[in-house]
Formats: sequence, structure tokens, C-alpha cells
Amino acid sequence: MNDRIERLRAEAAELKVGRQTASRDGLYQAAGGVAMGVGVVVAFAAYQMSLGKDDPRDISSLVILAVSMLALAVVGAAVFLRYSLARFLRFWLLRQLYEGQAQVDQLVSHLGNGRDMDSLRRPYVSESDTYERRNTAEEADTPAKGSGG
Amino acid sequence: MSERTAGAIVDGSPPLDLVGVRAAYGGIEVLHGVDLAVPAGSVVALLGANGAGKSTLVKVAAGLLRPTAGAVRVAGTDVTGAPSHDLARIGVCTIPEGRGVFPNLTVRENLWMATQVRGTLAEVEEAAYARFPRLGERRAQLAGTLSGGEQQMLALSRALVTDPAVLLLDELSMGLAPIVVQRLYETVAQVAAEGISILVVEQFAQAVLGIADRAAIMVNGEITRTGSPAELASELSSAYLGG
Repeated sequence: MNDRIERLRAEAAELKVGRQTASRDGLYQAAGGVAMGVGVVVAFAAYQMSLGKDDPRDISSLVILAVSMLALAVVGAAVFLRYSLARFLRFWLLRQLYEGQAQVDQLVSHLGNGRDMDSLRRPYVSESDTYERRNTAEEADTPAKGSGG
Repeated sequence: MSERTAGAIVDGSPPLDLVGVRAAYGGIEVLHGVDLAVPAGSVVALLGANGAGKSTLVKVAAGLLRPTAGAVRVAGTDVTGAPSHDLARIGVCTIPEGRGVFPNLTVRENLWMATQVRGTLAEVEEAAYARFPRLGERRAQLAGTLSGGEQQMLALSRALVTDPAVLLLDELSMGLAPIVVQRLYETVAQVAAEGISILVVEQFAQAVLGIADRAAIMVNGEITRTGSPAELASELSSAYLGG
């Protein structure tokens, strides 16, 4: 229909659609957790089994297995931590953005109320608070009716 | 060639076509098989009360939320599950609900973001300031300190300078004065006349019906009615009030 649509059609056709990163992160995180758990359990079991063996070759085999499993546990822990942190850091980034936005909103609302920048360094006092204080002060200055008689 | 709910397909596949889309947040399904097409160069208004699922549908179309069933097609290609940055790169551009700008960056820096997709900063600035001269006057100002209308102008111009084929607008009028909303929708109408297909999600129907070619009413995650803006105008009150 027009160049724009033709370009869209061509680029959409070339687009490779895969799984979303978030779900892949979850998969890696789960795999890391499983590797960590299996590594620790098998390493401990292999070590315990090696204690009951007399043949040095059996003991060596089991110790090698235990060390390998410990290595697997370390790698699994690293993968688990990597993808856990990625998820945590995404939330952290969102929180930073949200807080930044809130700060800017506060700044804008102060400026919108006609306040200067110095007022931002002082504790915020709302217009209604100021009004109430002024009224209270005026009432205190005004002699009570009938008190002079 | 087939007839879809929100508009006839004039020339091949529509730029954006949502087919039987279902989406959920956790275990709660909020879209229950939505069919909606945005024909080339037209403005489709998606109307409905708060919580009807309009913004969720935009998220699905923009690649921000993966549908649990159904398909998102862009110019005939199934792009279901494609990430939002890939869709933005091919020309499906979204202006999200609320402020779609980086509040701690200046107007100029916000526009620079658009150069990641297309063009140089000089070209982007020239196009943006030509469309919205007020942004030119505020080019060094932090985007967060602009008025709501100016922020939407910035978001709109940043989207338009990437030369998108499909534009998704989510609640453009949110928090803005009626006169500002009117001006923004005049710009949207100009943009549609340039050949960009636009899906506008709005809670306040009157603002968008004046410029829409087709409209659809969404109630509780389903599209209950589609038609021309004139046809739907009379049915809006029942859709909003549940009558």
C-alpha cells in the first residue's frame, strides 16, 4: 500500500522470534540450582562411600567423583547466582527509575506551587499548615470578646 | 482475503492483526480471545472502562506481554513472542500509558534515544521541532519538568521520528486538559494521514472518536462491539456503565 508497509512487511518477515529472555533466565536459574544441589549431594555420597573402601583404586575413583561433583556444585552456584542477580537487578533498576520519577514529580510540584529552590532544602510545610498557623497566631493576638469589661 | 473485526483488510494483510489473543497475569486471565486488526493508514480506537484489558492488549501487541494463546501478526508475519525492542526496530512503536519519556534526561537527550533506531540527532531534532515547535524552545529542559502535554508531545515526536509503520497509543489523554488532548489528537490525525496505522486505547471516548476510522469496545477482556465511531457513540454509555 505504501513504502512504509512494504518495509514493515520485509522487516517482519526477517524477524526471528524466539523465546523471551525472562523465561530463559528462569530456566538457567533452575538448572543452576539443580546442578548445585546434585553436586553437593553426590559429592558427599561419593566421599562417604570412599570411606568404606579398601582398594586405593576404588577410593581414588570415588574421590575423583566427589571432587568433580563439587566442581559441578560450584559452577551450578555461579549460574544460579548469575541469573538470580539478573532478576534482582532488573527490579532494582525499575525501583531506581520509579524513585527518580517520584523525586522529579516532587520537584515539579514544588516549582508549580511557586516555591523557590531554597524551600526544597527546608522541611515541606503545606499551604493548609501555613494557613492554620497564621489563623492560630491571629487568634492569639486578638483579645477575647468581652474580656475588657 | 478475510474480514476481521475492527476493519476490512484492503490490501493484503493488515499492518497489525491480533487473532484470538488470550493473556494472563499469573493465573488470572484478563484477555479472553481478542480479535482486532488495524488496517493500513487508519486509526482504530479501542475503548472501554478502566480494567477492561485495553492496556494489556497494547502490551501484547507491543511485545511487552507474551499471550497465553492466539497470535500477533505484523504485516502477515506471526511475531508472537517477539521482544518489544525487535518490534520497535521493525516499525511497531508504542507510547505507553502515562509518561513515555525519561524524566531525568533533557528533551534533546530524549530525542537522541530515537537515533538508536533511525537517523542522526540533527535529523531527529529537526523533524521533532518542526512538528512541535514548543519542544524546540525547551530542548535543554529536563523532560520531567515539562507539562503533561509537552511530555506527550515529546513522546509522540520521539516515536514519529523513527518513522514507524504502526503506532500504539495508550491513554494519550491521561491527566491532560481537554484543549491539549484535542491538539494532540489533531496531530494523531495528521500522522494517520501520512500513512501510519494507529491503534489508540482510550478511556475517554469523545477525545478519540472524532479522528478514528474504526472503533471497538472492550468489556471484561473481550471485544463486544466494533464499527464506525458514529455507530458506537450511542452504545458507549452502556459499555461503560455495564447496562
